[in-house]
Amino acid sequence: MSTPSLVTQDLTIRFGGHVAVNQVSCAFHPGELTVIVGPNGAGKTTYFNLISGQLTATSGSVTKDGTDITRMSPSARARHGIGRAFQLTNLFPQLTVLENIRLAVQARAGDGWRMLRPVSSFRGLTAKAEHYLEATRLTPLAHQKAANLPHGDQRKLEVALLMAMEPDIYMFDEPTAGMSLDHAPDVLDLIHQIKADPTKTVLLVEHKMDVVRALADRIIVLHNGELLADGPPAEVMGSQIVRDVYLGTSEGAA
Amino acid sequence: MKQTTGTLVVKLVVLAIAALLLFAPFLFQNVRSLEVAARICIFIVLVASYDLLIGYTGIVSFAHTMFFGFGAYGAAILLKTMGPGWDAVILGAIAGVAVSLVLAVAIGLLSLRVKAIFFAMITLAAASVVLVLVSQLSQLTGGEDGITYRAPDLFKPATKLLTDADGKVLRIFDVRLNGKLAAYYFVFFSSLILFVLMLRFVRSPLGTVLEAIRENEARAEAIGYRVVAYRTFIFCLSATVASLAGTVYAVWLKYTGPDTSLSFAIMIDILLMVVIGGMGTMWGAVIGAVLMVMAQYYLRDLMGAASEALAGIPVLPELLAPDRWLFWLGIIFILLVYFFPKGIAGTAMARGARS
Repeated sequence: MSTPSLVTQDLTIRFGGHVAVNQVSCAFHPGELTVIVGPNGAGKTTYFNLISGQLTATSGSVTKDGTDITRMSPSARARHGIGRAFQLTNLFPQLTVLENIRLAVQARAGDGWRMLRPVSSFRGLTAKAEHYLEATRLTPLAHQKAANLPHGDQRKLEVALLMAMEPDIYMFDEPTAGMSLDHAPDVLDLIHQIKADPTKTVLLVEHKMDVVRALADRIIVLHNGELLADGPPAEVMGSQIVRDVYLGTSEGAA
Repeated sequence: MKQTTGTLVVKLVVLAIAALLLFAPFLFQNVRSLEVAARICIFIVLVASYDLLIGYTGIVSFAHTMFFGFGAYGAAILLKTMGPGWDAVILGAIAGVAVSLVLAVAIGLLSLRVKAIFFAMITLAAASVVLVLVSQLSQLTGGEDGITYRAPDLFKPATKLLTDADGKVLRIFDVRLNGKLAAYYFVFFSSLILFVLMLRFVRSPLGTVLEAIRENEARAEAIGYRVVAYRTFIFCLSATVASLAGTVYAVWLKYTGPDTSLSFAIMIDILLMVVIGGMGTMWGAVIGAVLMVMAQYYLRDLMGAASEALAGIPVLPELLAPDRWLFWLGIIFILLVYFFPKGIAGTAMARGARS
């Protein structure tokens, strides 16, 4: 197998006496889509926060392409190619959809410090933002304020922001949560496209089993902050221990 | 983005204000009016630079007059010690900006990481310390009395910019082309340049990052913007502009004291102006500064006239007595905030948006 793009080694975080993520060691490879499953409170989102930098590990390390990023700020990690979409919609509410996406494009292009020309004269930034608008089918809403969008479109914009960052590592945290059936396929199509690129690594937290089956190259299971199982979908979903802690309890609900 | 009709109206009003200020010496031919016009110019810049912080980036600072004061005292002290000359003004401006930058970087790096409320408290503490220092170091600053000095020769009322055939100062529309006029246009064009520069900043990519930080700091960080660096930078930029405005005002007034450049009363004026005008719009600074300065200078006169006109009627003349002007200013402020929750410019620009 190729060299891993992202490695977590004994990654641990404690909140007081509670160990939310406990010594999770895992390597992720380009061209591979890994789905992270586990019951509520298993530490999936916390694990994501440790990788993208919203939280800093108590011990253990995170490396991206050989660079230790364990202590870096979220913005430094983003500049190292780690992109993250959030479970709870996390946008720039009073800015328009186009402005939201252009901010992500601009961050990627490193143009944030340009201050003497109007942003509208940076045609390249706007063109690229429009490309991602098109890709996420948000073009008709380009000039709406993000706060005024319906929930499903806000979720799409959340994904569009991640796409516009053009990272090496894509991290989706329940991208279709709360989405209606006609919106969800758009987002899943996008993830399929990213997955088709052999240089991109995709991490996905997902509850819906049909989505997991359709997308996963590999599944890891977290339970009480610990890595419980890791392997190809068929193997993991067939294992008894996983059935006991996870699938047995929530497959009906999903 | 499509402009709303409200935005168009606001821009036209601002344009009209700019035209009035440009021709102020010809339109309002008395000393007091010119004083008001110059004060408006300076406060537009001061309030706009504060809007960069509070309106665009969401930083609350109470140290803005401190930076204004550094610029004013820089020019004042050097004009006093070196004598009136452009070298003193330029060195004063540089000294003011330098001191402002050192303090802005220190405050910024030390405390922009903490919560907004702590940052506001730290700026308040810094401003208080500087205010006390200025009143204590009276050899240097003149203490509570301030410093009186002469402006460069060009701005002396006796200076003749142009002379007619008899060697007397030339008049256009009955206005003497003397040093006072030159001083006003120095204030006007310095303010205009600074304001237009700030207008460019907020329209630039940098401006969009500032808005992103105001809207959602955590997400701005997550998509790759170094939030602390941007906040420190804009704090420094805003301090620099305030300091330069202070230098210009010091040259115009030929006097600098705590009451003209450093007091918390000015800080409160700035806050009122930015709230009345509308935060995060730049145009709001213009409207807020004009209304507030006009009210400060003319509300008393207006009330005096109204009080006399109503002399026969009971109660009303008492209520409108000029001494009660602050009471009425307070009521006007409350009404403005009630009817224009986003400030005058902010509320107007949102009008006519829905198609």
